[in-house]
Amino acid sequence: MNIPTLHPLGADLLTTLVFLPTLGAFVLTFLPAASKGAAKAVALAASFLTFGVSVLLYRAFDPSTSVPDAFAIDRPWIPQFGIRYQLGMDGLSLALVLLTTLLTVSVLLVSCGQKIEKLKGYMIAFLLLETGMLGSLVALDTLLFYVFWEVMLVPMYFIIGVWGGKRRIYATMKFFLFTMAGSLLMFIAILYTANVHLHATGIQSFSLEDWTRAASSGAWHLAPGTEALLFGAFALAFLVKIPLWPLHTWLPDAHVEAPTGGSIILAGVLLKLGAYGLLRFAYPLFPHAAARYGSLLAVLALIGIIYGAWVAAAQKDMKKLVAYSSVSHLALVVLGIVAGTGAALSGAIFQMVGHGLTTGLLFLLVGVLYARRHTREMSDYGGIAARVPVTTALFLLATLGSIGLPGLNGFVGEFLILGGVFQVSVAWAAFAATGLIMGAIYLLTLVQKVFWGPETSPENRTLTDINGWELAGAFPLVVLIVLLGVFPRPLLTLVEGSAKTLQRAGAPAEPGSRPALPPVLKRLGVHELEAPPTGVAR
Amino acid sequence: MSGFLHVTFADVACVAPELVLAGVATLLLLLDAFARPIRPLFPYLTLAGLALANLAGGSVSGTFFGGAVESSGLTRFLELLTCGAIALAVLGGAASLERDRRNQGEFYALLLFAGAGTIVMVRGVDLLVVFLGLELMSLSLYVLAAWYRDVPAATEAALKYFLMGALASAFFLYGVATLYGRLGSTRLTTLQGLSSTSSFVAFDILLGAGLLAIVAALSFKIALVPFHGWAPDVYQGMTTPAVTFLSTAPKAAALVVLFRLLHALFPLALPQPWRPLFVILAALSILFGNIVALSQRDLKRMLAYSGIAQMGYAAIAVATFTQDALQGALVFLAGYVVTNAAAFLTVAALSGGETEVRTLGDLAGLGRRHPVAASVLSLSMLSLAGIPPTVGFVGKFLVFRAAVDSGLVSLALIGVLGSLISVGYYLRVVYVVWMKEPVREVSLVPEDLLSGAAFLLTAGFILAWGLFPRGLIELARGAALTLSGR
Repeated sequence: MNIPTLHPLGADLLTTLVFLPTLGAFVLTFLPAASKGAAKAVALAASFLTFGVSVLLYRAFDPSTSVPDAFAIDRPWIPQFGIRYQLGMDGLSLALVLLTTLLTVSVLLVSCGQKIEKLKGYMIAFLLLETGMLGSLVALDTLLFYVFWEVMLVPMYFIIGVWGGKRRIYATMKFFLFTMAGSLLMFIAILYTANVHLHATGIQSFSLEDWTRAASSGAWHLAPGTEALLFGAFALAFLVKIPLWPLHTWLPDAHVEAPTGGSIILAGVLLKLGAYGLLRFAYPLFPHAAARYGSLLAVLALIGIIYGAWVAAAQKDMKKLVAYSSVSHLALVVLGIVAGTGAALSGAIFQMVGHGLTTGLLFLLVGVLYARRHTREMSDYGGIAARVPVTTALFLLATLGSIGLPGLNGFVGEFLILGGVFQVSVAWAAFAATGLIMGAIYLLTLVQKVFWGPETSPENRTLTDINGWELAGAFPLVVLIVLLGVFPRPLLTLVEGSAKTLQRAGAPAEPGSRPALPPVLKRLGVHELEAPPTGVAR
Repeated sequence: MSGFLHVTFADVACVAPELVLAGVATLLLLLDAFARPIRPLFPYLTLAGLALANLAGGSVSGTFFGGAVESSGLTRFLELLTCGAIALAVLGGAASLERDRRNQGEFYALLLFAGAGTIVMVRGVDLLVVFLGLELMSLSLYVLAAWYRDVPAATEAALKYFLMGALASAFFLYGVATLYGRLGSTRLTTLQGLSSTSSFVAFDILLGAGLLAIVAALSFKIALVPFHGWAPDVYQGMTTPAVTFLSTAPKAAALVVLFRLLHALFPLALPQPWRPLFVILAALSILFGNIVALSQRDLKRMLAYSGIAQMGYAAIAVATFTQDALQGALVFLAGYVVTNAAAFLTVAALSGGETEVRTLGDLAGLGRRHPVAASVLSLSMLSLAGIPPTVGFVGKFLVFRAAVDSGLVSLALIGVLGSLISVGYYLRVVYVVWMKEPVREVSLVPEDLLSGAAFLLTAGFILAWGLFPRGLIELARGAALTLSGR
């Protein structure tokens, strides 16, 4: 799958992809702070080029790829410990890479159209963050992954802490400590697993490929308790990031205080990386523990779906509302991952991209309003549809996409997840569907309160509509929300290969050991359906 | 002892770095007396001396002076580390010393003597030679602590450090005497021979008492809890360039000596009463240092407690006691030298004279006024917190890895818990520097050529070793092999 003719800068494609934004950030540091035009040009050029590279990758990608070995690079990094600079892709990572590069372009375009202090630093932070995100998505050596994973924290800390709202310091510290607590446990788990691998095979390696082989071939034998602890440490790092109830408390704070761009990236990509980590690391490496504790995760996810929706419905702050809706929607993704059928997994991955687009757009538009009125309280708006018709139309579209209206992208992902979950447990599906209905209620209420009705506040008379830069940032998201709703096949084709592999890895091999229903539901008379052969839903 | 009478060329070549350092130090003393106008050139002369000392080293390997000292990968590593630490201290401190008119030749001479002592400490295969180095290093540092002798905090720091340091030296000597009384030798190579024939059991009351005294003395130099009491006061009162040195190389040397002595006595594995002891020392230092650092508002005191915690991480390697662990500790310590120097650079450059308390709040607005200094300080904080891609992460990775591999998972967990706590105060510095509105503007000593070079060098090393640690690890591996090879 290597395409050696496409090696800009003499490096391979994935290295170029990951470090092009860093190069842009590096160039930016040498620009004088006063020259905003040059800073914009450099940052946009870097992000567009990175997006271009990801499109090149998409064009060259073979959709039948089932393991992350496309465009593979494998070089020694710290050979003394068998740590490799190993990168590669499958459909899952490619889909998220495309989302990441696109959203970064959007964020930078929008920031050009808004008044942002210390613009140069802002753009440097986003470009470094992009390197961290892309690196996490293509790294196949666990230690390399961990490095990129931690690298993401620092720019985000600055983005919230420097450009955030009033309680930004509290929010950014909370974000940092929560995420770090999870990932430090994963760090020890990585070291322990490497030791297990060394003793089982005699080979020093941190490579995911080697570990997965050892895990699936039974070369390493883990005591159930040990495996549970290791799975728990990995899962905790990822569940904090997603974030799954009850680990979600940092998210509303971070979202409310983050600047618009920070919220877009946070909701659009960072949260997805948690789900990505579950799919890529936690499930394939510790399949038995994953199967055993799947139902626990499912219960947490179900609580998260309902809880997120419930709390969102009570919010008065628009950003907080969207933040809690993310808690709810991503819990559905987790449920899809736990269910582990082909349809549920395809849906979960599809929904990861879809949620990134719709929620990204929602945060973007809330940011547009905030930049003009400096308030996010719903009660400060009302009846502004006539003043800002374009914003209203886009907001409505994003809302409908988010609540899963057929014809828009949210529907495809949610339908697939629910269908897949249904094969595993009717009760889970029923609960999850309830949460989705609640999603429709609070999001439509938001639209109604903010845009329709009588014009309540005189300050809103001077409200101006979305400007050219902002529209340029929103445009690709809008197009994709519609396109993926009407024509989901390209994205589904992209992710099916990964879903198929993960389904084998994710669901236990022996029949009858599918995640069991929570006993409470059994007592209520809810029965489990026999799981049909895999892949039927497609 | 005939070796001392017949000094061969190889003997001289073995201790050439110390000779060069001492020679340059003496030269500086003379120049200060007879050629005072060239004082501004002293930092450059010191740097040249350090470079020369490095060139002079590493030409021979083996034991010399009748087996009392050795030249090996390990001593070479510590030579580089010590000279690097002095160089960074000089680069960062020259400007503020010149501003305060305290740039007498004695300052640089004492730093070089302390460096020579540090190297002799590690070079000594005989515990008496180790003691000689320890004293040379300590006495120079006592004087350096009182460098601003008209500042009460400095004299207080010097007196505290001297009294407690003298006690530690006494403990060390007592321990050596007891070991000699029990085993009949002060030479590590001989001790190793004795222990490998298992002529003594691991827990022997006389041996235990002597070893405990030595462990206490060295833990004092490393500033491990509960032997850390001097550190915050000394850091606070001592002039910053001297602290830059004091907080790194002497601690590293003491740790290596400790490792080496234990390895001589217990070549295979740390026996029962000792391993838990070091687990406790490391865990206490990590937790205590990090928790107390959280509440510090004075920058130098905060760095002192941070240093206690960082040495706790290094002590994990002693508790782990494998070759991998020593290698990890060496990488960790090398990273600590540059990271710590980067933090103290900004402290040294903060103007206002030595008497002023440097609180965290003084740093507010630094990001706007001096973005380079602020970036380097932030980078060093991230490295101290162990966040990739910095050398601080690489060091912790190696130390924790060795600990996990030898079954000390709980100690590694305590380590990461400490890291999490430490994020609280390391990131507070980053927050103050970039995000806090200044009450009054900070100003730095005008950035001269030397401190500019120091900022770039430290930042460069933090990132380069963080991204490409291969070379550093290889060097440390060579150094760690020394022990098992002997």
